[in-house]
Amino acid sequence: MGLIAGTLLSSNKEILYTIPIMLLIIPALNSLIGDISTVLVSRLTTHLYIGSLSPKIQKSERLKEDFYGLLITLLLSLGVLVFLGYFIGIISGIEIVNPFLVIIIIIITILLLFLIMFITLFIGAIFLFKRGMDPNNFLIPFLTSLSDFLTPFFLILFIIIFI
Amino acid sequence: MELQDSKTKIVRETFPSETISIIGDLLAGIILSLLILPLESFVVLILMIPALLSLRGNLSGPFIARTSRDLVIGNFSIRSWIENILATYTLSIITAFFIGFFSLILNLFFFKLTILSYQYFFTIPIISIILALSISIPTSTGLNYIVFKKGLNPNNIINPVMTAIDDFSTVLCFFLSIIMLGVP
Repeated sequence: MGLIAGTLLSSNKEILYTIPIMLLIIPALNSLIGDISTVLVSRLTTHLYIGSLSPKIQKSERLKEDFYGLLITLLLSLGVLVFLGYFIGIISGIEIVNPFLVIIIIIITILLLFLIMFITLFIGAIFLFKRGMDPNNFLIPFLTSLSDFLTPFFLILFIIIFI
Repeated sequence: MELQDSKTKIVRETFPSETISIIGDLLAGIILSLLILPLESFVVLILMIPALLSLRGNLSGPFIARTSRDLVIGNFSIRSWIENILATYTLSIITAFFIGFFSLILNLFFFKLTILSYQYFFTIPIISIILALSISIPTSTGLNYIVFKKGLNPNNIINPVMTAIDDFSTVLCFFLSIIMLGVP
């Protein structure tokens, strides 16, 4: 997956040359969605094992608390990332093309990825747990690879659409 | 405890470590956009970077977890630590070789760029990951030991801190290996 992500970036080199701020923030965006998803999987697994979440695909108070807790953390972290990224970009002389549009693209990408990850990992955790497997062992390596690929994919896709 | 976690508690406990992780990754981004982007061979080099970052995470993550576990359960010894280090280095060299091999294949079939000689596809990932682990292993072991001696659980603290340090050091070592090898 890492190499596929690399191929994707390499084939869209013009975007990286024209919007260099993207290259500055891609590692942090990748890491952010990966970290939040890892926390989600660990929490879902613990809930399923201790019985605070029933192994059924349905809404529950516990699930809502986790969803909103992680969403707020994600948005706050995204605020820090954009602020520090642009601050570093300005002081290091990295050209920032279309700053507001780039911020909107980053927000849309991260929110979309969070939704995809939340739904996929929730269904995946229930499915694996019902079959007697530990969701941590399967879903953490899976989500790392998935976020490595999907983050540059959606960023590039939205840049092509909007810019 | 987990049962009573409110969204406020989730935010309070996750946000600070996430901020540290973001800072480390932005430093990695600075090296990428200021030092590696202007290189002639950037198009080929960017093929390897995401894979190397994943490799670093997949190797040093379990190393940190094993060291933390040994400290917590009282099984830590120099012998087990050295075995852990040797296993991590061996696995990293083998995987770095395959990253180089598959990057070469991708380049031959898709990009067809001749700017980078074949040997660089193997030497760059291998040297980068050896250098990065040479920073990561002593740092994580030292931090693990200090945190454990202070009576805290290393499992909760070391990983996010090391993610930040490791992502930065991987990109830095990647750049250093490019300079050492004289890559255009």
